[in-house]
Amino acid sequence: MESQLIVSNILPAAFLLPILAAIVVVPMTRLSEHARAIGLTVMCLGTVVVAASFIPGILDGRIYEIYLLRLTPQIWIHMRVDPMGALFGITASVLWLLALVYSFGYMADEHHKSRYYAFFMLSLAWTMGVAYSGNLLTFLVFYELFSILTYPLVTHEETPEAMAAGTKYIIYILIGSSFVLLAIVFTYFLAGDQTLATQGLLSMDMGKANLIVIFVCFLIGFGVKAAIFPLHGWVPDAHPAAPAPFSTVLSGIMVAIGTFGIMRVAFNVFGLELLGQLDVMCYVQYLAAFTIIFAAILAVNQDNLKRRLAYSTISQMGYVMLGIALLGQEAFVGALVHVTNHAFMKGTLFLCVGLLIKQAGVHNVSELRGIAKKMPITMAAFSVAALSMIGTPPLSGFVSKWYLGLGILEVEQPLYLAVLLGGALLAAIYLLPIVYAAYFQEPEPAAGDDSVSATTREAPLSMLVPVVAAAALTVILGLFASTPGLPLSLARLAAKIAFH
Amino acid sequence: MVSWPHWLVTIIIVPLVGAVLTPVVGRGRPKVIPIWALGIMTATSLAALMLIIRVAQEGPFSYLVGGWARPYGIELHFDEFSASVGIICLVGWLALLFSYHYVAETIPARRVPYFYTLVLLNLTGMIGFVVTGDLFNLFVFLEILSLSAYALVAVSGEHIAEMAAFKYLVMGAVSSIVVLLSIGLLYSVTGSLNMADIASRLAGVEQRLPVMLALAGLAMSFMVKAALFPLHIWLPDAHSIAPSPVSAILSGLVVKVGVFGLLRVYQIFYGAGTYDLTGLNTALVWLGAISIVMGAFFAIFQEDIKMMLAYSTISNIGYIVMGLGLASQYSLIGATVHIFNHALIKGTLFLAAGAIIHKTGYRTLTDLRGVGKAMPVTCMAVSIGAISIVGIPPTAGFLCKWYIALGAFQAGKPAFGIALIFGALFIFIYYIRMVNSFYFQKPTHPEILEVGEAPLSMLIPILVLATLCLVMGILGRIPISFIEPAVIRMLGPFGG
Repeated sequence: MESQLIVSNILPAAFLLPILAAIVVVPMTRLSEHARAIGLTVMCLGTVVVAASFIPGILDGRIYEIYLLRLTPQIWIHMRVDPMGALFGITASVLWLLALVYSFGYMADEHHKSRYYAFFMLSLAWTMGVAYSGNLLTFLVFYELFSILTYPLVTHEETPEAMAAGTKYIIYILIGSSFVLLAIVFTYFLAGDQTLATQGLLSMDMGKANLIVIFVCFLIGFGVKAAIFPLHGWVPDAHPAAPAPFSTVLSGIMVAIGTFGIMRVAFNVFGLELLGQLDVMCYVQYLAAFTIIFAAILAVNQDNLKRRLAYSTISQMGYVMLGIALLGQEAFVGALVHVTNHAFMKGTLFLCVGLLIKQAGVHNVSELRGIAKKMPITMAAFSVAALSMIGTPPLSGFVSKWYLGLGILEVEQPLYLAVLLGGALLAAIYLLPIVYAAYFQEPEPAAGDDSVSATTREAPLSMLVPVVAAAALTVILGLFASTPGLPLSLARLAAKIAFH
Repeated sequence: MVSWPHWLVTIIIVPLVGAVLTPVVGRGRPKVIPIWALGIMTATSLAALMLIIRVAQEGPFSYLVGGWARPYGIELHFDEFSASVGIICLVGWLALLFSYHYVAETIPARRVPYFYTLVLLNLTGMIGFVVTGDLFNLFVFLEILSLSAYALVAVSGEHIAEMAAFKYLVMGAVSSIVVLLSIGLLYSVTGSLNMADIASRLAGVEQRLPVMLALAGLAMSFMVKAALFPLHIWLPDAHSIAPSPVSAILSGLVVKVGVFGLLRVYQIFYGAGTYDLTGLNTALVWLGAISIVMGAFFAIFQEDIKMMLAYSTISNIGYIVMGLGLASQYSLIGATVHIFNHALIKGTLFLAAGAIIHKTGYRTLTDLRGVGKAMPVTCMAVSIGAISIVGIPPTAGFLCKWYIALGAFQAGKPAFGIALIFGALFIFIYYIRMVNSFYFQKPTHPEILEVGEAPLSMLIPILVLATLCLVMGILGRIPISFIEPAVIRMLGPFGG
């Protein structure tokens, strides 16, 4: 399929708008809290609009790009929107918008709000940059900025736990990004500066050993971000420490950026044919499959809600990795669409947990009994997302697992079907008890400090709207999955290009 | 105006005369002194600008002082590497502006004129060092800048200042003597002091032993000046005890003189063409790698912020020296550009640290907790400097990492590229400690929150440098494409 290249001047707006938002946070705060809320929402909405504006063209087979400036005499900062990037970009911007609106309520009584909003918007900017980067150096620039400049968000609470989680986060991430840098330098040395296009940059005549070294470096580097076992250590600590709206994007997008990096490496840097020859992907499959089951088992044992969800994220990212590693077209569709679907499912769950923390002071699964009576909407949203995560049709989680399942059968490795179903079963085991406790268990009669108190009530509308919207997206992406313009169509297009 | 031939001598004469006249001009009029010094540096910077434009337009050029031709006359030579005068003038000018309030409040009034004299002399020495085309003058300017640097370390009068200055003096003086000895050896075998001349005559020299001795001597003593591990022991005390504007000059510029000397030595010996430099290259690459790691390792255990920055300089010199030793085109570009970029970054950090110490009176991480709230602008500059020095793209520090790592692959020694990238991880650790302490930890001294921003004369240099840390990363192609032809010319047949 020939794609048509179009120079797009609005493309840089996708990351310049959030940067602008971050810059004007302080002046807007001087004006008033309302001005800040409106200004940030408008600019974030603008980013969503920019990201959405590419989709019709992309579906018509166009590719948007722009060369911004030369970072070195040889290498341009090259932005490029292809189906894979477009899908990632729209997912990120929408999730960020939901989390931002939610933040206005959630962060209202917090300290250092300007710092929080500035870095929150900056992290969106870097994410959009990663999604739309057209060559490896551009990718690296945004990826590193993103990795480092989210540190103030992880440590935002400034408690000893948050500081410890921040240290763990930054050490993991820095080691990871060093591997990425090394791999990119090596790739650049062998292949020179090239657009991230489908054919792959590397070829077999560059030496098998070199190629394997590069692949392993990329895998370790992005694997840290994508939380593949055994590189997942930072995830369960960073999530509980961070404020809930940031946990949302952390789980929904940040971790997924690691898998996005692996997708780029697999399909754009190496290319299908070369990966087939190198025969490395089977090891990735083993790791991914192990991660799915292992993290899910750990999730079952967590009492802390956010930790449980964090382990669930690790497990779900295992699905995405498995979908990539199978190197089948249907499986890749499943992997891509699962990134989006997972973003909104997990987003909903984290936003709900944020409300539980804020409104009821509940941090642990064991304190949840009967809370559905007090917070029916929150728990309804939570239940929808939980069911979707397990893979109940017709919710979005089912769609991605369906494609993954098809993919597994396509490449004739039915053993992984057991992993897929096992992961889903474990998801039911770690998510449904939460729902059960909230709906069907009576609150403990002696209501101490740690149980649902009588004054607990539903959160204000400003926080409920994003939660309901995220839950609604989970439903819509499942029910209307095949509508053109929704993630599935983009994912199919991306897979078609990658496997053409 | 650009083609006026005498800019090359003006750029030395103006600051030299200005330095000598400072005490006279300032006699009875202490307020005039800083303005005089700034004026002198402005004129010097103008000359530097003209020279840089000219070299960009027409390539390297020479100036014969008094019209005497080589090998007898004094020749000033300006090539792309000499464009370092630009960064010397820039950091020098900003450090002088920073000194405006700083010196008035920290140094006894009677010493103030001499402080400015010494700073100007120091800058003169460095400018002379990079534009001279003749080895003996190289030594003369090296002495001017070294002697003024020793005195500047001692000028603050704090209790260990004299000791630090003395340690610096002993190490520095020994290395200076070795430089002189080596120059003498080269003169004895080639009969010339002119660098280009020596390069062309060396090829025909039969006696290799004195030449190799001279090479070893020059390399060794410039390594001392560059504070390469394990010859770095003079640096941490000297750089951290000196007044902050001086620290910025010492760390950003003066240590680079050692690196620059190495670069000139390489130019001579690559030019001669018949010498095998593998041994020296290997030594430099290893020492560079060790410096990166050891500098960072020591920095991790420092509590004093200026001490931390001083050790960080050792790491960064390690980058540059490693780039020189790898001797491939990319690595040399990375090394030379980092000479420039590191001056910007370290200038930002030392001036910002100086402003923080000046306003709060504290200098350890524990005491400075929470200062981010009290001095947001200065601390933002520190953060930008920190991000830049650890090499996060697209800041100025990234280019050197990228190019030197690429150069390591190009030279067929990828292990050093790996050492560079992972050595940088150590550097992250202590900058994270600094950022944590400034922003995320509860103040040890609650009164620190009452401290305001430094006066504009300190804030402006900090902000200009911090902005440049970002801009020079994004516009990195400008210095790179400027220096690329010089590197290719220098490597000649050796180039990868």
